[in-house]
Amino acid sequence: MPEDLLKIDELKTVFRTEAGTARAVDGVSFTVGRGETVGLVGESGCGKSVTALSIMRLVADPPGRIESGSIVFEGRDLLGLSEKEMRKVRGNEISIVFQEPLSSLNPVFTCGEQIREAIALHQKLGRRESRAKAVDMLRLVRIPDPDKRYSSYPHQMSGGMRQRVMIAMALSCQPKLLIADEPSTALDVSVQAQIIELLVDLRVGRDMAVLLITHDLAVVAQMADRVVVMYAGSVVEESPVEELFASPAHPYTKGLIDSLPKLGQSLERLPMIPGTVPDPLHVPEGCRFSDRCQERFDKCSVEPPLFDLAAGRRARCWLCEGSEG
Amino acid sequence: MSVLIAKGLKKYYRSAGGFFLRGSRQLRAVDGVDIELEKGKTLGLVGESGCGKSTLARLLLRLEEPTDGTLEIDGTDFLALKGRELRRARRKIQMIFQDPYSSLNPRLTVGSTIAEGIRIHGLARGADVERRVSELLDQVGLPRAAYSRYPHEFSGGQRQRVGIARALAVEPDIIVADEPVSALDVSVQAQIINLLADLQRDLGLTYLFVAHDLGVVEHVSDRISVMYLGRIVESAPAKELFSDPLHPYTAGLLASIPTATPGRRIKAAISGDVPSPVDIPDGCSFHTRCPKAFGPCGSETPRLEEVSSGRCTACWLYKE
Amino acid sequence: MSGGRSLWSAGWARFRRNPLAMAGAITVLVLYLVAILAPALTPYDPVSHGDLPQMRHQPPSKDHPLGTDKFGRDVLTRMVYGSRISLTVSFLAVALSVILGSIIGAVAGYTGGFVDAVLMRMVDALMSIPRLFLLLTCIALFSRSLLLVTLLLGATGWMSTARLVRAQILTLKNREFISAAEALGAGSRRIVLRHLIPNALTVIIVSATLRIGLIILVEAALSFLGLGVPPPTPSWGMMVYEGREVLLDAWWVSTFPGLAIVVTVVGYNLLGDGLRDSFDPVRFT
Repeated sequence: MPEDLLKIDELKTVFRTEAGTARAVDGVSFTVGRGETVGLVGESGCGKSVTALSIMRLVADPPGRIESGSIVFEGRDLLGLSEKEMRKVRGNEISIVFQEPLSSLNPVFTCGEQIREAIALHQKLGRRESRAKAVDMLRLVRIPDPDKRYSSYPHQMSGGMRQRVMIAMALSCQPKLLIADEPSTALDVSVQAQIIELLVDLRVGRDMAVLLITHDLAVVAQMADRVVVMYAGSVVEESPVEELFASPAHPYTKGLIDSLPKLGQSLERLPMIPGTVPDPLHVPEGCRFSDRCQERFDKCSVEPPLFDLAAGRRARCWLCEGSEG
Repeated sequence: MSVLIAKGLKKYYRSAGGFFLRGSRQLRAVDGVDIELEKGKTLGLVGESGCGKSTLARLLLRLEEPTDGTLEIDGTDFLALKGRELRRARRKIQMIFQDPYSSLNPRLTVGSTIAEGIRIHGLARGADVERRVSELLDQVGLPRAAYSRYPHEFSGGQRQRVGIARALAVEPDIIVADEPVSALDVSVQAQIINLLADLQRDLGLTYLFVAHDLGVVEHVSDRISVMYLGRIVESAPAKELFSDPLHPYTAGLLASIPTATPGRRIKAAISGDVPSPVDIPDGCSFHTRCPKAFGPCGSETPRLEEVSSGRCTACWLYKE
Repeated sequence: MSGGRSLWSAGWARFRRNPLAMAGAITVLVLYLVAILAPALTPYDPVSHGDLPQMRHQPPSKDHPLGTDKFGRDVLTRMVYGSRISLTVSFLAVALSVILGSIIGAVAGYTGGFVDAVLMRMVDALMSIPRLFLLLTCIALFSRSLLLVTLLLGATGWMSTARLVRAQILTLKNREFISAAEALGAGSRRIVLRHLIPNALTVIIVSATLRIGLIILVEAALSFLGLGVPPPTPSWGMMVYEGREVLLDAWWVSTFPGLAIVVTVVGYNLLGDGLRDSFDPVRFT
């Protein structure tokens, strides 16, 4: 396994609302190695996006607050940095690409200008050099005619092009870690494939790790080396990608993989997980998945720990007890 | 037997050019579509954003008035109906919407939402209304206690069930489902898909299932039509479309779907972006992105024609 | 079957937890009680003169807690009766403008097209006429009366409500539940009354509450200019006007009615803000 670039330990982020305290991220630990792509998967409200925002220290406070835990990036705990030091990390050492590129770009500046500004800000380059570099970045993300496209405004571009601009901006300072939060979800199938291909290709020859946050298992299968599955604020399974799809250890992961309609497979009924995703204000007692789990037994009234299994796998399920590697 | 036959449906919008600006361009959302729904079967309609699939769905319910074309439902000319006659005929075709949040009136209880259609059409009176609503709640898998609760007290999947019950309340023959699961969590999608399949089996419903997710569409459909920029480019039995796509767009779309199989990396099979519907390319609208474009593609529009039994495509590759 | 929690009851629960909103609500409630119970609250007559000249401009005392004016009338009594004028005029004027504005806005928003364009250009045109000028002209043309002032304030205030309601209807019209109702075979009346209006109602109520404060100020300004309610009927604006000549010698004549205006307007604004924070459908659905 590669050396750790990012090590999250027992991270807890809560949101105080009128209706009570939502433990959005409740004791999450995982690592991202240098140059590694880790997929963080889960359904709405599982805490995957809040985890990403916590790493960037972009959780809106109030109502949100990082309560405890540590986020060690290159030997420094990001939670201990001052806001000024954190600003140097953001966009420079860690970059983030969001789902909706239109709202992430400023409509009154050209796309090229926004990339140039990001470069000038972090690398202290002059106007001409930073502009040349911005054009290079546009070329890198395969935007046709980058010199001309430099002066296009965000609204003059398609969704796929805007997402390329966002990626160019995120990569312009050679970050060590790129956080991609549902980067292809808002895009059409044919364009989504282009963006996934681009992201996979861009990693080659760059010492850049990617934390891919998505609800789409197929996208994870395409891109990730390792997968962390979250459910109701906690990690339920962690595994290299091949093993996860070949033999999911946690019943939730298994249910998710089974319920995907697969091309060419004819089934009368889709296997399904009963019930609904718990709302973060009312997380079930004991194992958080127990109320929807078809393999539940008496032990499940107590929350299981993450059992270490063979080959770098971990799962939070009592069924895995005794089969630790 | 066909319960719905649409021919040459068109919907053009005037693109925002301003009040005084001449030459404001036309947005051709739906540009001459023929569709037939077989009784008790499911037609899947796939396409990317802006291809006009949602507009087409709304045209079939007359939530939008078509610019041109004919629409026959159960043998009656649906487009000729007006006022009270139209409102009465609307019972036959109902819609399930994409967004479970905006599709329910937040001020009405689940019970009143489902009962609305029953009351409008006088399908039951007095206490029978409540009895019928309870029956519908059972049918879609919601607890009876949901009757007096409000939409905001439910999750997305449960709200979608309410929307389905509302549609079923008027005992329709045809249900148009516009992306009914795309806003739901993965684990809940399968529940709704299975529910729709059960209802079809029990009630003999006819579905038009509109979606962008090819995996879901293949699972639910008997036949699939693929739309691109307002036109149907291919139509085939579901299994055949997937095993042997004819139109290069269908083939590219299939190749672009990421599969949940690690190690099998996808290749972006179609380059470029979907052109804007105000700026549809001449000739075959796909030729700007088509890897197989040749001679006639840029100048002449191919018509959708049957090339072998049950299989239609609009592509010059298959013309004599 | 247990009843669900409607958006109204959820909003009311939020409202009760907001101390500023509750303060506003209580202020407004107390003001209305005072207006209704006026005769029971003070022993004096608001209109007839006191014993002149010895009763003229008496400072606050045990018998006259807020002093007397130049006709020897009890200031507190006149203020209490004046609240009837301010509250009635503002309430009726706002009710009139909200009803007018809601109907015109709803028709414009729901019908769209040509009707919408005509109505909205009319709103633009009316909004460009300076309101005070219009009021002054009308009052100069007709005789001053309570009814005229109310009607004028109502008829000149509906445009912003119309715009607000139209915008609200336009966003609601695109919601899928409207399409669903249409597909069920609901007629326009059902769609407007059952689906559009109830969802636009909170916005209308909030804006009406905030407008009442504004109307009270306009009415006071008119009275101050001597163009409001004709004397000797007490009105807060008029009382401030009457006291301005003796502000240094008999400060109480102007100051207390002025304070009453401030308290009322602040009370309504707090109430309106509280209602918006608690019921705004954009934030809670």
